[in-house]
Amino acid sequence: MPDNGLLVQMILGALLGLSVYLPMAAGQLSLATPAFYAVGGTLAALMATHADHQGTISLGAVLWEMVVAGALTAALATLVGLPVLRLRGIYLAIATIALVEIVRVAILNLPFTGGATGIFGIPQPFHHPLGYITLSGGLLALCGWAFQRLETSRLGRAMAAIRDDELATRCMGINTTRVKLSAFVASAVLAGVTGVIAAHYLNTWNARQGSFDVAITTLAFVILGGSRSWLGPVIGGLLLTALPELLRPVGDLRLVLFGLVILLGPVFFPQGLITPALLEKLGRWKLRRLKP
Amino acid sequence: MSAALLQILLNGAASGGVYALVALGYTLIFSVLGVINFAQGALFSLGGYLTFLLMGGRIGVNGALPGWHLPVALPFWMALLLAAIGAGVVALLVERVAFAPLRRRGADPLLSLITSLGAGVVLVNLLQILMGAEGYAFPAGAAALEGLPEALLIGGARIRTVQVVLLLISAGAVAALTVWLERSRTGQAMRAVAEDPTAARLMGIHSGAIVRLAFLLSGMLAGLGGGLIGLSVSLAGPYFGISFGLKGLAVLVLGGLGSVPGAIAGGLLMGLAEALIPSAASGWRDALAFAVLFAVLVLRPSGLLGRRLQEKV
Repeated sequence: MPDNGLLVQMILGALLGLSVYLPMAAGQLSLATPAFYAVGGTLAALMATHADHQGTISLGAVLWEMVVAGALTAALATLVGLPVLRLRGIYLAIATIALVEIVRVAILNLPFTGGATGIFGIPQPFHHPLGYITLSGGLLALCGWAFQRLETSRLGRAMAAIRDDELATRCMGINTTRVKLSAFVASAVLAGVTGVIAAHYLNTWNARQGSFDVAITTLAFVILGGSRSWLGPVIGGLLLTALPELLRPVGDLRLVLFGLVILLGPVFFPQGLITPALLEKLGRWKLRRLKP
Repeated sequence: MSAALLQILLNGAASGGVYALVALGYTLIFSVLGVINFAQGALFSLGGYLTFLLMGGRIGVNGALPGWHLPVALPFWMALLLAAIGAGVVALLVERVAFAPLRRRGADPLLSLITSLGAGVVLVNLLQILMGAEGYAFPAGAAALEGLPEALLIGGARIRTVQVVLLLISAGAVAALTVWLERSRTGQAMRAVAEDPTAARLMGIHSGAIVRLAFLLSGMLAGLGGGLIGLSVSLAGPYFGISFGLKGLAVLVLGGLGSVPGAIAGGLLMGLAEALIPSAASGWRDALAFAVLFAVLVLRPSGLLGRRLQEKV
């Protein structure tokens, strides 16, 4: 059974998975999530350590940081998204990797972000992991509700249509640029807000938190969990965050095994763990239980 | 031209040559398959470590077998060549495990991005288990350069001999590959597969073999780059190839995906641009490649020498 601390990390993983999933649901392979995650985390670390909190911080202040981080990442994502979202497929993926690297080097070199060691002693709003579980779990539940609603909304259907055929969608009179940008901005905001929680939970923040490795891992959450419904990235994020910890007994081999999972997962489960067929089966099973 | 500027340009060209090697490796695979092999950076690391081991280098205290070394101590040139071949063979293995099963099934090319990343993670961490995370420096006089001075004076500019060697080897490899692609029958077959896989198969070209050849060559280029950087700088831990892999990606886009001259020009341009950054701002050097990449993608997505993309409906 995972301990409470691991549970927080698993939930944060699920949130990041959802952040990668959002643009993908509109057919856009963006790996920008770690960049916005790093921006959110750095912002929280700066705001929390500059005000004098004597080691603790009120929940209200953390929520305010989340609002500011959300606004900042939304602005940033709009600015970056407008030119970048004209790119397709592998080009968009490479452009967003570039963004991740630029943000990482910037955080490493800016005079006020603590260089390679980063920012220490970020005050804690909770004295027990249970508080973090409630906060991040609450956010995850909220996201689950929002994603479920999204699937039947106008925007969600437009995203699915773009994923299937962007040109046809545009011909139907849908402003595809706006839909793609909405998905990109929402993904950035979710990553930024998750970064705020992570910075407080980890107590320290540095440039490594948003590196290319994170882009790989979060993408793996979606691919292995399944990219056809929002449940996929959630399950993928929870499982794959727990996996390296569960593999701790094998010591140095755990990262090799983690790599093998990423390598062989798409070969054996091309649609991920949560497939449309599985969801349909689940739906029929629920229907049967409701109507005996 | 002032000596100082010439010195900067020569150093820039030397590192640019290595970037071109990495980018050419991506280009070969991208042109025949339309996918990017993200294990390229790990193969770069592998090449560096293989060269070190084949030269008789000892594994450090944090490795799996501290103090162990290969019973041979080859001269640098031979070690480099064998390491490149070794990296090429591992690239074939990567193709077998990470690319071939997906291609057979006609899966989304996006998936091979993940599987090749996974292959890279496995390789780098195996290296880490074997060799430990510490850095390794090649023994002094490794490249049989004892007869030569530490640095050469070219037109008043002082440049380390190693850098000149680096430039010459990468230029030689790039030139050989270009001529081979242009002139040889197999090179023509490879270009035919890159142009139109279906038509190439109808012409009797064994496209599977061509794909494997592309992986072999691409792995060899990465391994060569890793060995050269190991000689000129050092092996800074098993992850050192990853940053070269990422920069190679930037070069690839700068030159235009799938364009051989573009990859070479892009590599040189990137090396020169990095060398021109003053040392006071050297922390930002790593961002330059990606800032350039970002700008190129936004302004001219087909790259400097790439073909314009045309979408057919």
